[in-house]
Amino acid sequence: MGPVSSLISLPGWANMLIAVAIGIGFGFSLEQAGFSSSRKLVGMFYGYDTTVLKVFFTAAIVALAGSQFMGYLGLLDLTKVFVNEYYVLPAITGGVIMGLGFVVGGFCPGTGLAAISIGKIDAMVFFFGGLTGAFIFAETYPLIKGFSDGTYKGPVRINETLGLSPGVFTFLLIIAAVFMFWLAEKAEKRFSRPDISADI
Amino acid sequence: MNPRIRLSIILISAGFVLAVLPLKYTRSLGGSPAKLLSASLNDSLAISADQLARFISLEDKDIHLVDLRDKADFMITGIPGAVNVPYHEILEKDPSSFLLAGNARNIFYSSDDLQPGYAMIIAMGLGYRNSYFLRGGINEWTRVVSDTIYRGGTITARENALFESRIKAGRLYNKLCNLPDSLKIKYLNAMKFNPKKLDGGCE
Repeated sequence: MGPVSSLISLPGWANMLIAVAIGIGFGFSLEQAGFSSSRKLVGMFYGYDTTVLKVFFTAAIVALAGSQFMGYLGLLDLTKVFVNEYYVLPAITGGVIMGLGFVVGGFCPGTGLAAISIGKIDAMVFFFGGLTGAFIFAETYPLIKGFSDGTYKGPVRINETLGLSPGVFTFLLIIAAVFMFWLAEKAEKRFSRPDISADI
Repeated sequence: MNPRIRLSIILISAGFVLAVLPLKYTRSLGGSPAKLLSASLNDSLAISADQLARFISLEDKDIHLVDLRDKADFMITGIPGAVNVPYHEILEKDPSSFLLAGNARNIFYSSDDLQPGYAMIIAMGLGYRNSYFLRGGINEWTRVVSDTIYRGGTITARENALFESRIKAGRLYNKLCNLPDSLKIKYLNAMKFNPKKLDGGCE
């Protein structure tokens, strides 16, 4: 039963190698989906191209439903799957900074790296900006430690907070996703920019 | 049919199936690890055998005992009013099925202090802040309460009060331990924890 890392005990470097292979696969998929184009990515914010929403939301609900089916069939032990810890205010602040960086820079970290791999100069500048941000965070960490480590909620799941079973939550999320896809299609028609879309 | 509509139907159908499937419900521990650790080191969270004897002799409704030993041990020497949830099952079970929320005190006990200490931290992490453990476990309880005897001589009023609660709780405990298995099962079933009944209301 998965996860794979619980089936066989691999040395640290082998685990890192697997992560690198998955990362390359992920980056390749991003590039093939057209996510190395900043105009396509920021189209999400202007409404003329909502591929980002459709691709990532589809990936999230397929992964969620798939892992729950695998868990039910005994193929994946969900208790061994890492759940990220939740810090309320730092997560909101980080989300705002990330969103601003996304709309200003035209990439998110993953798509930025995918764009670097095909030689895009704007992505290299974007990546340098990301590194600068990480450097500033590391250097100022002692000053913002209280905020950064505060409002800790532990590795909570949304369905627990809402008092729903995992299956019911997944069902509701899928309904929400399908509604968002419909809304996204409407937005694409409403804010259509054929001049940009033809170039992407 | 439009492939997007087809995909949406497949996803919604999969979601519906998941909604009706009895999926395993895993719970996450909340609260800062540092805070949980410092809370667990708080000496006031350890209940002494005498304190517990007093609660039992006064029939305190706000305490809730959880025996973490195996069922066989619990059947032989279970403290009156306790529910049995073997330690290895506490993360598998829905905590609301064996713990009380609110002001009630959940007191864990086992043969020693190790597992009850862990169980107490888990319960606190799950949001049951009023969690405690019986210091010294069932062995300390037996030594202090069950085996207590009057050795003669003059005792102070405080010692007398302590002795009385020990005797009263000890009698109840020994009576339960000496019941034949059939009656003991009946007693334990009658005591079975049902949180819904404790919710109050005007029934």
